[in-house]
Amino acid sequence: MTTDTYRQLLGLAAGVMIVAAVLALWRRSLSAIVRILAAQGLALAAIAVLVGAYHHEVSDIAVGGMFVVLKVVVIPAVLLRVVRDTNNQRQSEPLVNVSTTIVGAAILTVVAFAATRGLVGLHPSPEADALPAGFAVVLIAFFGLVVRRNALVQVVGFLMLENGIAAVAVLAGAGISLTVEMAVALDLLLAVLVLQILSARMQTKFGGLELDHLSELTD
Amino acid sequence: MTVRGGVVVVVQVGIAVGCAPLLIGLLRTVRARLEGRAGPPVVQPWRDLRKLWAKERIVPEHTSWIFAFAPVVLVSSALVVAAIMPLVSTASPFDHVGDLFAIVSLFLVGTVFLALAGLDPGTAFGGMGASREMTVAALAEPTLLLAVFAIAGRAQSSNLGAIVTATLHAPRSVVSAQSLLALVALVIAALAECARLPVDNPSTHLELTMIHEAMVLEYAGPDLGLVELAAGMRLLLFGTLIVNLFMPWGIATRTALPAIAIGAIALVAKLAVLGVALAVFEVFTAKIRLFRVPELLAVSFVVAFLAVTAAAFLG
Amino acid sequence: MLLLALLVVPLAPAVATGLFGWRPTVAWTHVGASAATLALAVVLAVRVLDETIVRFGNGVLRADALAAFMVLVVAIVGLLASWSSTGYIDTELATGHTTPAGARLYGALVPLFVAAMLLALLAGNAAVTWIAIEGTTVATAFLVGHRRNRASLEASWKYVIIGSVGLALAFLGTIVLAYAARAAGATSANALNWDTLTAIGGRLDPATARLAGGLLLLGYGTKVGLAPMHTWLPDAHSQAPAPVSALMSGVLLAVAFSVILRFKTIIDAAAGPGYMRGLLIVMALLSLAVAASLMLGQRDAKRLLAYSSIEHMGVLAFAAAVGTRLAAAALLLHVIAHALGKTAAFLAVGELPLAEGTTRITELRGLLTRRPALGGCIALAIIALLGLPPFGLFASELALARAGFDAKLGWSTAAVFAVLAAATAALLYQAQRILLGPPTPTVDSQQLAVLASPRATLMVPLVSALIALGLLGITLGPLQQLLNAAARIVAR
Repeated sequence: MTTDTYRQLLGLAAGVMIVAAVLALWRRSLSAIVRILAAQGLALAAIAVLVGAYHHEVSDIAVGGMFVVLKVVVIPAVLLRVVRDTNNQRQSEPLVNVSTTIVGAAILTVVAFAATRGLVGLHPSPEADALPAGFAVVLIAFFGLVVRRNALVQVVGFLMLENGIAAVAVLAGAGISLTVEMAVALDLLLAVLVLQILSARMQTKFGGLELDHLSELTD
Repeated sequence: MTVRGGVVVVVQVGIAVGCAPLLIGLLRTVRARLEGRAGPPVVQPWRDLRKLWAKERIVPEHTSWIFAFAPVVLVSSALVVAAIMPLVSTASPFDHVGDLFAIVSLFLVGTVFLALAGLDPGTAFGGMGASREMTVAALAEPTLLLAVFAIAGRAQSSNLGAIVTATLHAPRSVVSAQSLLALVALVIAALAECARLPVDNPSTHLELTMIHEAMVLEYAGPDLGLVELAAGMRLLLFGTLIVNLFMPWGIATRTALPAIAIGAIALVAKLAVLGVALAVFEVFTAKIRLFRVPELLAVSFVVAFLAVTAAAFLG
Repeated sequence: MLLLALLVVPLAPAVATGLFGWRPTVAWTHVGASAATLALAVVLAVRVLDETIVRFGNGVLRADALAAFMVLVVAIVGLLASWSSTGYIDTELATGHTTPAGARLYGALVPLFVAAMLLALLAGNAAVTWIAIEGTTVATAFLVGHRRNRASLEASWKYVIIGSVGLALAFLGTIVLAYAARAAGATSANALNWDTLTAIGGRLDPATARLAGGLLLLGYGTKVGLAPMHTWLPDAHSQAPAPVSALMSGVLLAVAFSVILRFKTIIDAAAGPGYMRGLLIVMALLSLAVAASLMLGQRDAKRLLAYSSIEHMGVLAFAAAVGTRLAAAALLLHVIAHALGKTAAFLAVGELPLAEGTTRITELRGLLTRRPALGGCIALAIIALLGLPPFGLFASELALARAGFDAKLGWSTAAVFAVLAAATAALLYQAQRILLGPPTPTVDSQQLAVLASPRATLMVPLVSALIALGLLGITLGPLQQLLNAAARIVAR
């Protein structure tokens, strides 16, 4: 494909990732949020496949395939199972109201783009132009993680954070070989499984996933 | 102004006025068919307008000149927009006035006057509709500006004609991130401004759920006809904005008569397709609760903001 | 081969426990494997002093003096912890605080935890280091939740979430660093090798290095427990079983900090020492302030010790900020002294829920009169943690103060030590509340009968730790050379 098409498609996939992060801040329904996470995973896989196809690197395409299996199929399935088991489709209001959260996300995107200008200028390429999108997703997901009060939504926020970092890893294309990516993904899967088990225990002990229950240990 | 320039203006205004009720009729018919009803014929809105304009003019007591003047302002602002916006041709004589800010401001003038007219009779529902309308407008206007701004970068100008021409010359740029984000934001803002689902249900009978309809509850007869016509023209003009900015194929770039004719046909066809798509969308969408409307508009604002960011850093 | 053995030997008891469950013989394999690991660590230390860097498998595993020193610390604390675990778990099973399944999980996860820490220290590649540290989070997640009650569930949730988010940011920093390395000429395959990064440190782009440094400090700093990312630490370290708390407070924090030290040398080469120094001083002061203020009002003994860990991590951060050779030596001495002292403290205090049924300070008055042996050990451990002579922490803090003033950081040093003094006072106040005064009636005389005198499996490791700590205060002995070599790596 031509450089221009490549650049456009890459920008498109990066844009979808950011929009998915913003939408996850907006929606209240837990299953919708998990589906948005899956969509973001798909966009991430698209980035990996695009980079691989353009540079003729099979490892990147393989990484993209792994992302599809892990982030679009397996992890959302695990999370949807938790949603079904806790029987609670909605979640409470976040600490800050939704409109403010969303506008905050917009500001964070600009911050991300501004903070990584030096990074982009270091090694100009179509991938470097899309790098700030990964950072933006990281910041937005981190913000969402901090203001939400439901355990499952925190997990989704954490996974979006990881998606953003994986996007930066693929775009930076820097010394992260296939084996390392697989090990990282495995670590991530284990973390999610741990969180799933903890959520199950939380559901049994506290009767819900609202983090307001977790207030015994205070000073 | 040349004769052909004048033809362009006349054709644009004519399409705006003539096809607006037809667009509304198309929406209603398609919705009805999808819902399993026979539905009214497409020209029914014109019949309604004819009926309304034949009626006696009734005005509530204790209203001021604003109440009488607002329908006129609505229609005339829509007519001006139709004249200066590139509907069938980017080479209209008023092209240099066809600036993004001018057009958005003209729409806003109409909105403000309608809100004031809703307050004027002093009824509860009118006031309620007016305050809701201003909330929606306050959130949707910046989105409109930002969304068009995002794609204005290509043309280095906020003149709508220039933007459309630039898109004509670089059709692949429509598939870029900033373009698609701007499209999404523009669609949501347009739905909010035109009082369509999911922000406002135009066919509701329940006053407590109304936004636009609540403001025009006190209108009757010819005034109501003007207001309905203006609402239809608004929908048509926003639809034209969307199709011409993102899918400008067929629009005339000169004032030659055949080009104008092609432009007119292309516009009508594109609007028809847009109308059908909107009708299908409305069948499957529910109105969202009023306190969630600011959230939806905030999301569209952020999407437009992201479009501008993408344009600035990636473009 | 030695390096590989250092990873495999600690894993053996995990397999054994997984297969056979928790039994006395299996429990002693834990101790045996830990002793073997310690022996291997000593061998490694000797070899590193000979060869400077020991490698395995073409750079997959790598050990320099700093790694050998830290491996030694991990092995020592690992031995003390596993020795004490034998009796601890048996007592928990006897008193019904845990189930056989819980004991088996414990027995399987603790060796995995230790092996993951060793991998983090011995990895030749920064990405593998990250994977290993993430592995420690996964391994300890269920260890923190060992007790299966609401409080420990809350603690493990916070621990996993905050720890994982922090490590995610650390990974982002790692990627940014690799990107800068690639731009400075490293190949894709070895952009993250510690050797390569140290070699091209000076050539990295300063702005990118600063971004990477900030992210890495924020990320790994979460695992170290530096403020403001410390919120998980008091909960996790107080809810975990005592040997695990000892491992986490004593060595895991220090292992994560050693990773920060390695990155710091690279970032300093690229962006100048001022950037990381500034960040570290801020974090040090914040951590000390948080610890000092929150230790004063503490109601739980284990939480008190956890805040003391935050305080000592703040001291480590300041030592790293000073950056001279003397400060580095002080830092490493502080690491080993704190590891020993915190282990002793946690092992002793960890006995209290079993012996007294509670860790609430208000219910623990007069411990010295009620239980002279246990109380005495707690007293000695806390005296060590307070930084009083003759224990090792006194020497390290003295050296650090001198290093700080020598490096012209007078105001920062004064501020740090002022807050440190406040924290020390708070700890002293709480200690006298626990240990001195008229004894309150004990909670459960039944439990009292079960544990009339502290068990040997507790006292042996406890006393040995205290003796070693005392010795360290006087002389480093055989460790001197290793410490100097490691200090040379930390501060050029």
